[in-house]
Amino acid sequence: MDSRRDRRFFSKKKVCRFCTESIEMDYKNVDLLSRFITDRKKIVPRRNSGLCAYHQRQLSTTIKRSRFMALLPYTVLH
Amino acid sequence: MAITPNYYETLYITRPDIQEEDLAKIQQKLQDSISSNEGEIIKADKWAERNLAYEIQDHKKGTYYILVFKALPNASKEVEKHLQFYRTDILRFITLKTTEEAVNKNKASEEKKEKTEPTTPTPPPAAPPTTTAAPTPPPAAPEPPTAAPEPPPAAPEPPTAAPEPAATPPTEAPASTEEAKTENTDTQEEGGTN
Ligand SMILES: [Zn+2]
Repeated sequence: MDSRRDRRFFSKKKVCRFCTESIEMDYKNVDLLSRFITDRKKIVPRRNSGLCAYHQRQLSTTIKRSRFMALLPYTVLH
Repeated sequence: MAITPNYYETLYITRPDIQEEDLAKIQQKLQDSISSNEGEIIKADKWAERNLAYEIQDHKKGTYYILVFKALPNASKEVEKHLQFYRTDILRFITLKTTEEAVNKNKASEEKKEKTEPTTPTPPPAAPPTTTAAPTPPPAAPEPPTAAPEPPPAAPEPPTAAPEPAATPPTEAPASTEEAKTENTDTQEEGGTN
């Protein structure tokens, strides 16, 4: 019942941002996509991004397109 | 069955020091291949001049051009063929199929942007590309006073980690192994390319 609230680490129930807000996933939108990559420039996993399966898949290809066009780095080692 | 025209969006990066006549020549070729395939150019713009996320052919900067067009599928092939041919000047290119709705939506949002830009002269330096992000910075500005006297939210974290050693190691351990893994693969890749 209230077990979720009693948990030591508060975890907010996440809802997919791309389902709730009407944002288009665009490989040119670097500001948006950079929120979904880690410090080491890896794609944030679904457990952290909170996206649904469909949008996580879409995010993955979009970030890869962005990387190809040198809008986002592949790694920190470049 | 008749082949129907599609909507395409091409983004290409030119080297920053490209000669104007070379660029004009390439763009003319693109236009020709589109118009010879019952196509029309919807948008042909310079998108941005920016630092590349990584060096391409020893270039640190590049100029991005966007081309949106409606044409038969053959046109996109020809466009890509031309861009491939001038690969010393064109660092990268990508062509994606889009829809009429997406094209119209983009047009509408750009017109909106143009209208809102003159009214908001200060936000652009903070976050120029996103129109949605622009409205948020202003409320953040008055916040600093409240954020400054509020170090507690950040400080409590170490204390919670200390009394509960059982909870912290599991989160730290996978991260470190993951990091080690990525480092290994990275160096391997590097060795392979070199
Ligand atoms: Zn979703």
